[in-house]
Amino acid sequence: MTTLSVNGQQHTMDLDPATPLLWALRDHLKLHGTKYGCGIEQCGACTVHVNGRAVRSCGITVGEVAGKAITTIEGLSPDSSHPVQQAWIEVDVPQCGYCQTGMIMATAALLERNSKPSDRDIDRTITNICRCGTYNQVREAIYRAAQIKEGA
Amino acid sequence: MKNLTMNRRTFLKVTTVAGSGLLVGCTFSSPQLLSTPKASEEELGLWVRISTDDKITLILPASEMGQQSHTGQAMILAEELEADWNSIQVVTAPVHSEFTNSQADPRGIQVTGGSASISFFWDKLRQVGAGTREMLTEAAAQKWGVPVTECQADNGRIRHSVSGRSLSYGQLVSAAARLSPPSSPTLKTPDQFRLIGKSIPKLHTPAKVNGSAGYGIDVRRPGMLFAAVSQSPVFGGQLKSFQEAAAKAVRGVEAVVPIPNGVAVVADSTWHAKQGLEALTPQFEGGESAGLDSAKVTTRLRTALDEMGKAVISSAKVLDVEYEMPYLHHATMEPMNCTAHVTTDSCDVWAPTQGQEYSMKAAMEVTGLSEEQIRIHTTLLGGGFGRRSEWDFVTQAVTVSKALQKPVQVIWSREEDTQHGFYRPTSMSRFQVGLGKDGLPVQWESQIAQPNLAARFMPPLGWFDFDPMAVAASVHDYGLFPDHFYKVEGVETAHSPVDLGVPIGPWRAPPNSLNVFYTESVMDELAHLAEIDPLEYRLKFLGESPRHKATLERVAKQAGWGSPLPEGHGRGIAIHDWFPLDEAKTVVTQVAEVSVTKRGKLKVHRVDCVIDCGLVVNPDSVKAQMEGGIIMGMSAALFEQITLEDGRVTQSNFDDYRIARMRDTPEIHVSIVESDAAPTGVGEPGTSPIVPAITNAIFAVTGTRLRRLPIGRQKLI
Repeated sequence: MTTLSVNGQQHTMDLDPATPLLWALRDHLKLHGTKYGCGIEQCGACTVHVNGRAVRSCGITVGEVAGKAITTIEGLSPDSSHPVQQAWIEVDVPQCGYCQTGMIMATAALLERNSKPSDRDIDRTITNICRCGTYNQVREAIYRAAQIKEGA
Repeated sequence: MKNLTMNRRTFLKVTTVAGSGLLVGCTFSSPQLLSTPKASEEELGLWVRISTDDKITLILPASEMGQQSHTGQAMILAEELEADWNSIQVVTAPVHSEFTNSQADPRGIQVTGGSASISFFWDKLRQVGAGTREMLTEAAAQKWGVPVTECQADNGRIRHSVSGRSLSYGQLVSAAARLSPPSSPTLKTPDQFRLIGKSIPKLHTPAKVNGSAGYGIDVRRPGMLFAAVSQSPVFGGQLKSFQEAAAKAVRGVEAVVPIPNGVAVVADSTWHAKQGLEALTPQFEGGESAGLDSAKVTTRLRTALDEMGKAVISSAKVLDVEYEMPYLHHATMEPMNCTAHVTTDSCDVWAPTQGQEYSMKAAMEVTGLSEEQIRIHTTLLGGGFGRRSEWDFVTQAVTVSKALQKPVQVIWSREEDTQHGFYRPTSMSRFQVGLGKDGLPVQWESQIAQPNLAARFMPPLGWFDFDPMAVAASVHDYGLFPDHFYKVEGVETAHSPVDLGVPIGPWRAPPNSLNVFYTESVMDELAHLAEIDPLEYRLKFLGESPRHKATLERVAKQAGWGSPLPEGHGRGIAIHDWFPLDEAKTVVTQVAEVSVTKRGKLKVHRVDCVIDCGLVVNPDSVKAQMEGGIIMGMSAALFEQITLEDGRVTQSNFDDYRIARMRDTPEIHVSIVESDAAPTGVGEPGTSPIVPAITNAIFAVTGTRLRRLPIGRQKLI
């Protein structure tokens, strides 16, 4: 049995410890906001927080994260009030939207560690793939989220 | 692919269903259809449903794959309906002849493509909206016993200006449903628009920001199983053997089911299905592309060009060049997937699809059921770009569900997705152009060899070895097609279809994705050969195309064409129109500014883009499509190619099929030309001109002409 702490709740599941966190979230906990994109930690569509850090959930097993605090997009805020979500709505970022929850989770983690990221910081940290090409809106929304977070 | 003018009567039909409210249908084919007893409830509210609690459901004829067709189509309908924008919810239409799009597909298929979701449905959506509004208005006038001219629709209510009374649409639906629908409702004039022309926030943004947006892979049905698939890596190969017992020994695995080109392992979770597939170790044999590799592809294309033979050009200045472009993959972020539930007498399909009608046909073929027994439910699409107008994933899900008689979700791994695409065709071309004393062409010979793309959609075209897609968007001498916007003398064009056994399909803006690179590179080469500025040179051929000329001049001005740049920087320019065989076209012009360091390192710094797409429904959506198209085109130019080894695709995931990321993305400035012409498409035309704009800019900096893509690690200096 594996116990996962997801969005503040404990879930005990009969899972092989080698199961990638991504599939435990999607198929067992019905948290579908975390997306499958590549399975090799390249695209970032499956980004969640583990103890506050952005992690690509396709590349980490439930065994490795047992007992750690996991946050998914569903747990980022109950009502899209997180500054990053607010900024995303204000800038109206998404096109197809499939990669966006991963982008949002990656950004939220970035802003926790670096409240005023530079363009270079963003380029280095937000390496998620968006095939629709929303990158410039994502960048704008990251700056806007930093402002909202500071109370601006 | 002519856009037929809508001059037939609009037939509106209304009905009430079980007291739930007004259902408004509209048909352009037969006034009988909606009043036949056979019509189902769903069909009766084909376009708009208004319920007594004021909720308005718009049934929209296009798949939503990020191009914001839902937002744009809802804006058009709501504009004429005078609806309260906040009361609207949207549903993607079921399979029905009302929703076919002859601009997206010449056969008049229900498919989302061709950048035609706004342009093709513009008239229809307005008429349905206006007709419904007129019925609601008349119903209110009758209730109050006042002249209809004293009543006005406003934000979901009908108001009586004299008495100040008002009733909501929900309060009027029952009365409205007893009225005869108008045959030619009065449309609003542009000065009366309150939604159209504004950047209304996209309908699906809230759900995409909190994770609740439902894509194909998010479909869950009671008792649903998950399937992982393996298909022959050599195209057209057959399953030879597999270890069924080993797969079934894996925890959670319930079944192994053969599918047309491979095998599926079905389990209680995606992960168990994947593990089962690993244990299955399927082996394949044969295949149409067996033994093919990229070197052989190049040889085949070159042989086809050589068979056409070279022309003799007698001018003093002659350009004689060859170009080559690779296969490209769509690489939608959501891998191919589909969920199906087949029983003895029904079939439900939930698919992120651009092709509802193809999906229906696939389901009918596999199940043997009739159209009435099958329902195609379209989810949100995690990207489409043409890949999802195919139906291979639908066939698979229906096949597996039919075998098990349970709901099953088939989901591909990224590796399967990358290696089983319908790729943008590879292509090779030769241009021999002779210039007169004034630097303008006196002879223009163009030859192109590539797989026949049109034959995939219009098989009869294959019989004649004719491929309109090889010609469209290039300077040509084909009398059947509209002239190219460049007026050039002495043109001779030829093409040779080459069947290579590799699946091909539409990749965002076929055929422009190939021919615009060729034409705009050659124009640039000719300008330099003639020693004329590339902008000035192009303008010489645009005397009869004032829209194109104005759009090109505007982007040059916006980009500061000709103004000084830092050392190592240069600009390139390009123009095209979309769709080149339609009468009404979108014109897009772009200027790229790049730098190349002394070590040959390339960076795209800034892109300027001007688009003339007629009347704009949602400016923000148009800009987003231009930016997204520019980034996708740039990604293709810089990095992307599908290569072949031993008959199979070499690349397998995002580590070897590289896609542009944030750090690669330039500053982008998009301007929209103001116009009151009917809307034309925007989803695709941002993608093609950026490619030659970048390579032309590289030439401006380095003098190196890139005639083969991707730029990749080619030596620039």
